[in-house]
Amino acid sequence: MLFNSYPFIFVFLPVVLLGYFALGRRSNLAPVIWLALASLAFYSFSNWQFVLLLLGSVAFNYLVGLLLISRRLRAVPRFSVLTFGVTGDLLVLGIFKYAGFFAANLNAMFATGLVANILLPVGISFYTFTQIAFLVDAYRGKVAHYALPHYALFVTYFPHLIAGPILHHRDMIPQFESAESKRPNPHLILCGLIIFGIGLFKKTGLADGVQPLVSLAFGPVTPSFDRAWIGALAYTFQLYFDFSGYSDMAIGISLMFGIFLPLNFNSPYKSCNIIDFWRRWHMTLSQFLRDYLYIPLGGNRHGPLLRYVNLMITMLLGGLWHGAAWTFVVWGALHGVYLCVNHAWINYGPAVAPRFARAANIAASILTFLAVVVAWVIFRADSLTSALVVLSKMADPSHVVFGRGEVLQSVFIMSYAAIAWFAPNTQAIMGYDHKNRTVGEQLSAWQRRPVFIYVTAAVFVFGILGIQQHSEFIYFRF
Amino acid sequence: MSASARNLIRFLCASLFIMAAAAALNFTVDPLQIFRPARLFAAMYSNDSRMQDAGLIQSQRYDTVFMGTSLAIHFRQSDIDRLLGVKSLKLALNGSSSREQVFVLAAALARHPKRVIWEVDDWIFHDAADIDSDVYMPADLYRRNARGFAGYLLSGNMARESAWIMARSIPSLEPVVARLTNGLMFKFSISGVDEINLLRPDFDVAGTYNAKQAIASFRHITDPARSKYLADDTDYDMKVRAFERDAVGLIAANPDVAFDIYLPPYSILQWVALRDTSPVTLRSVYDFYVYFCRRLVAFPNVRLFDFRSVEEVTHNLDNYLDVVHHSPAIDMKILDWLAEGKHRVDPAAPTAYLDRLKAQVEAYRVENLSR
Repeated sequence: MLFNSYPFIFVFLPVVLLGYFALGRRSNLAPVIWLALASLAFYSFSNWQFVLLLLGSVAFNYLVGLLLISRRLRAVPRFSVLTFGVTGDLLVLGIFKYAGFFAANLNAMFATGLVANILLPVGISFYTFTQIAFLVDAYRGKVAHYALPHYALFVTYFPHLIAGPILHHRDMIPQFESAESKRPNPHLILCGLIIFGIGLFKKTGLADGVQPLVSLAFGPVTPSFDRAWIGALAYTFQLYFDFSGYSDMAIGISLMFGIFLPLNFNSPYKSCNIIDFWRRWHMTLSQFLRDYLYIPLGGNRHGPLLRYVNLMITMLLGGLWHGAAWTFVVWGALHGVYLCVNHAWINYGPAVAPRFARAANIAASILTFLAVVVAWVIFRADSLTSALVVLSKMADPSHVVFGRGEVLQSVFIMSYAAIAWFAPNTQAIMGYDHKNRTVGEQLSAWQRRPVFIYVTAAVFVFGILGIQQHSEFIYFRF
Repeated sequence: MSASARNLIRFLCASLFIMAAAAALNFTVDPLQIFRPARLFAAMYSNDSRMQDAGLIQSQRYDTVFMGTSLAIHFRQSDIDRLLGVKSLKLALNGSSSREQVFVLAAALARHPKRVIWEVDDWIFHDAADIDSDVYMPADLYRRNARGFAGYLLSGNMARESAWIMARSIPSLEPVVARLTNGLMFKFSISGVDEINLLRPDFDVAGTYNAKQAIASFRHITDPARSKYLADDTDYDMKVRAFERDAVGLIAANPDVAFDIYLPPYSILQWVALRDTSPVTLRSVYDFYVYFCRRLVAFPNVRLFDFRSVEEVTHNLDNYLDVVHHSPAIDMKILDWLAEGKHRVDPAAPTAYLDRLKAQVEAYRVENLSR
């Protein structure tokens, strides 16, 4: 089931909300079980064949987690249990996500005739990473004993299950345990609806609206210079509004249940360097990779050379996490190189005189944005060959069409750029503070509150009116 | 009641009001003419056939339906009416599968036309996605169910078009709005039903349909770097399965409707390309046509026409845009042939035209192209 569908907005969500708050009057546990069952129902609407896999994964990790927090286990067996748990998770992920890729590469090298046509269970990358973090923390002794329903809800919680944000147990389970979240809070429901509406509008109004232009660069016809740029920029904004729209919707839905989800985006295209970009783009993945891969690899603790090696490994694996294809590996590697260059520049580059600081910042922002666009071309292309074709056309101004259509399309793209660069983001508009569990504090004090309510209601409705027949989120396939 | 609760109610009421206003606008203007033929506002049409056909089926009067792929998209309804003495409705869909065509035809046949004229290519018969998974086809709107109507009335795109059509109906605004309506920003840019998917009057026909283009297309598809896709079209069983499910299923279910099915005159280069790059595909296509012809001539309500071996057309490459798409002049010839009953497949010898085509393909020499 999609967030951007009538059945979800008009049936599923109201029914689950009503059930949750109705049960919340009777007990503290029943709403948790209700929400977990609703999440499984949500998942099974379009992925029923993988429900057992999801439940198996929850049960497996919960049991391994129980073993890890058991005080009777000594260091060596505990490490073996952790290794067993993480290996089990990665094995399942590897089979479902990477077996086909592995077989195709073996075929290409040795003509083995090996075929692996395995369907990718939606959300597997997200719920696997969520649970690996849980196991590692359990091993580190940072996990309390959680009840099974709370743990199951933490993994399956439907606002995040399909495409994140990647949740952390320490952040979520205490919220599920709290009695306060089970009482309907009109303020949180209103703020949740507004945030959901903004996300829905980003998806149906902005991301789906620019989608047709993407084929100018990535369609069957080799693009000209201008069309390659229009298509590449269209994808750049489509991906951002699609994924950040999804994340806003997830945060908004969760807020209606009284649960605060972590932020996943913070205006990434306003970044002034690549390090900054990765602090603003898919923030929960960046945090996961930092805490559970980069730092365990040694991070920056063993000198600059190893730091660059660790950065490259982290970004390569981060690229591969997005999908089983060489384009994702190269995209990750490219961002690894960007990060290394950025760190080297900070350490060894010349200092900018204060009077040039503003100009340097603008130049750095433009350069960062262009570097990101180039990387998105590789990310989006069907193959490295087609990525190179598009990139070569973007670098070849000798063939330009720029007719009336292209002029209009350029204006269209510029309006997207203006929103991404100059408009405040959702958390700024709503005053969403995940850490302090506050949102919309300024609403009650604001004199122009009714206008704000009506404008956001219009945005919400425009989001609903923009719903097309079937438009999946791009990150569903990762 | 707390201030937050009041704000929440205010938000929900405002949302409902805006949604109702958009639905009312779409219902009143009804850009697709789903609920009623246009009266209050000028009728406007779109070239997006998959969407537009859902409205045309309801709003137009017709006794004959014209279906096909891009090879049938540029026919003019008034030409069909004049030459065949019918009241036609063109429903051709670019790049369509047999599943899509039959779905649209079935919706049109619910209004009891007497005749279907159907341009058929063998490649339309494949395992296309289920019609409800087809993102370009508003299936529920054709079915006229609550979900289809809700999707139509609550569509922001439709509301934009409705507002535009409404603005165009105001005399003082009409010239400005008409100038801004160009198909790029607004889908409903056509003012006459006869003009849907027609080549524009200023279209350079001679510069588009000529031997140079056809030969360039032939060279393009037979280039070893690209010709692999020609070999993909070899699944005979799949074609037969789709043909039986879609075409035969529809014909058998409508014995009172006359089906005039024609096989269009591709340029000879289409067949030669298959002959030279993928003989297996060519054999498979021939085999399918043998099955196709024998099966269809057995139906009393089918007249089958085979224009593929009409040498004066198929060998004159100036008639083509690429190896298959013919010029508007050939559209007229096809209508003449249909009116005169020419090139009709004889039920006693259903593969005679195919045999003639095979001989032509065998005999054609590509070396002639360079001259």
